[in-house]
Amino acid sequence: MKLKFLSSVIIIFAVVLMTGCGNSRSDKNTLTYWSSNNSYEIKFADYITKKWNSNDSVKISFQPVPEGQSSEEVILAAVVGETTPDIYSNMWQGDVEVYADAGILVPLDTLDGFMEFIYDRCDSLVVEEITSADGHIYQIPWKINPIMLIYNESIIENLQLDTVPGTYSQFTDAAEKFKKDIDGDGYIDRWFGYAEVQVTWWQRFFDFYPLYLAATGGGKLIENNQAAFNNEHAIAVFRFLRNLYANKYFAMERLSARQDVFLSGTIATRFTGPWEISHSEKYKPEGFNYNFNHIPVPDDHVGPIYTYADPKNIVIFNTCKHPETAWKFLKEMINEKNDLKLLEISNQLPRRKEIDVNPLFSEYFKANPKMKKFAAQAKYVKGTDASPVLKEVFDLISQQYESCVVYRMKSPEQAIQDAADAVNLLFLE
Amino acid sequence: MKFNNKITPYLLVSPYIIHFLVFVAFPVVFSIVLTFHKWNIISPMEYTGLSNYIRLFKDAVFLQSLINTLIFLVIHIPLQIIVALFLAEVLNQKIKFRGFFRAAFFLPVIVSGVVVTILWQQLYGFDTGLLNRILVSIGLDKIGWLTDPNVAMPSIALMATWKNVGLYIVLFLVGLQTVPEQYYEAADMEGASKWQKFFKITLPMINPTIFMVVILSTIGGFSLFIEPYIMTGGGPLNSTISAVLYIYKQGFFYYHMGYSATLGFFFALIILLVIVIQKRFVERDI
Repeated sequence: MKLKFLSSVIIIFAVVLMTGCGNSRSDKNTLTYWSSNNSYEIKFADYITKKWNSNDSVKISFQPVPEGQSSEEVILAAVVGETTPDIYSNMWQGDVEVYADAGILVPLDTLDGFMEFIYDRCDSLVVEEITSADGHIYQIPWKINPIMLIYNESIIENLQLDTVPGTYSQFTDAAEKFKKDIDGDGYIDRWFGYAEVQVTWWQRFFDFYPLYLAATGGGKLIENNQAAFNNEHAIAVFRFLRNLYANKYFAMERLSARQDVFLSGTIATRFTGPWEISHSEKYKPEGFNYNFNHIPVPDDHVGPIYTYADPKNIVIFNTCKHPETAWKFLKEMINEKNDLKLLEISNQLPRRKEIDVNPLFSEYFKANPKMKKFAAQAKYVKGTDASPVLKEVFDLISQQYESCVVYRMKSPEQAIQDAADAVNLLFLE
Repeated sequence: MKFNNKITPYLLVSPYIIHFLVFVAFPVVFSIVLTFHKWNIISPMEYTGLSNYIRLFKDAVFLQSLINTLIFLVIHIPLQIIVALFLAEVLNQKIKFRGFFRAAFFLPVIVSGVVVTILWQQLYGFDTGLLNRILVSIGLDKIGWLTDPNVAMPSIALMATWKNVGLYIVLFLVGLQTVPEQYYEAADMEGASKWQKFFKITLPMINPTIFMVVILSTIGGFSLFIEPYIMTGGGPLNSTISAVLYIYKQGFFYYHMGYSATLGFFFALIILLVIVIQKRFVERDI
């Protein structure tokens, strides 16, 4: 009797375990869509899926990406466990090549009408940027958050500058005027700007990389499986940033745990994205005015000034039973009207050409003039190069960044050369 | 009801056997297999022979991470033993509020490592940190506790000692209370000083406790991860990247699973070697 009971318990436990670990997608007429888990995008995804489900026979089941240390880790775990959604809309462009290489994404250019749609939405440079090494396109450029320079208007006015700092020398001149040891303890405690000094690879999206794109007019980091950043522009960027730390124009200490240092006037500028607007509007003290400018460029720079787009794109996983229907849903989700809806709900820019002059969006930009600056900048943005080792590339640059820019243990020339050599070695392995 | 004597024992031990096979044996064997492969989790494994081992011996950052771990151990273990033994000795006396102090010193042990790390990050702040404010108030220069490559690892070792010392105080207290009182009485009759009693009676008598503390501190020190992961990310200039943090980064930042497994396997051998050496020398000499 006892043995029977014990056996039954083990069998029930095993069955529960097996069913619990299995893929829960059982309804063949339902597509699963994972969005980002920020509240604005959840609201948008909820709106768009409800609208779709009221009309179409193939339903979309939406949920935010499950909680994890990062959405990248969650997606990876889902890939390994074969529990990927059909559609995912928060894919960092730099990750796509890894998944494309592994053959787990649907090549979207094989879907009916995709190329016409994409050329209608984006200009040819964007299409080139999102095309993988094998010639296929695995991602739909959806939204961007261009990195720009936020500045405190009152501080810049009080410094009596001719113009908002836009070049390296204008920036350092202004920084020299602003930095101060307020409490007289012999240490600077008011800096012109701040960027995280941590060596973490993605921190370079907010200092080196936008400055590099600005200086090079949207240049590449990697080309033909080789480092393409061993050039005078990258060296100039390192030299400029090194100068900021050497002269204490930027704080070397981590200031992120304090009260917002920009809103409290401890710093005058910061490299940041449009998300700063809603944050600043919510927490700024009375009378605090701020604005945005392009990323600083070398004094002799000519031509358009690019920046990092911080793009988040949409992919369809090859576990999807109805890729054509998924594509039909996505066409609906990112049409002009719904792009406007996304913008209104989340203040994130759709990656759509000429958005700043599109009459459909003009009301929004009239009501949100600061977002118009980002929309104008959106003409000159870049995501990342297509490479499966992009994180390592950024990590190697970051190591040299720390060594040269923050601790001045290497010259900019040597640091860039060492980073390029290490990246080239990476491709040989 | 009769038991089937042949099956029942197996059935009863099966939960442990299943657990052992799934969570111990399989990962160990799989890790060893991985060391001969290149694998990023999502693509098929690619056999690469000994290339991961060759890379390991050329990897300057891994060497740096081993040196950093060694620096941590060299600071942390003696500091831990000295502070814990001193406090245990004090808390073994009949002092006022003894219960309160015993509880207070143990409190950091039960607080989450992440919480402690964030707390110390604030204390170590260059401009706003309490420690530097104290230094400036007494006319000394500020210290880059976490930003100076020469100071960052000692700072982490200091914090780790603060966090763990309570546990070792308890162990030493237990050890001290097992020393027979008669030995001290005899020494008193012979006119031995306090120091003589400490070095000639106390230390030899708590030898097994010291050995246990050294082993536990060493294993704890080798697994240094949360503190540099949260406080410094391994910087500045890789001065706080521990071996475990580097293994983690290779595995879960870059998905170099084969190489990460190789580093882990090699590191496990180093730990084994150190423990064997400690067992031979520490146990005998103290």
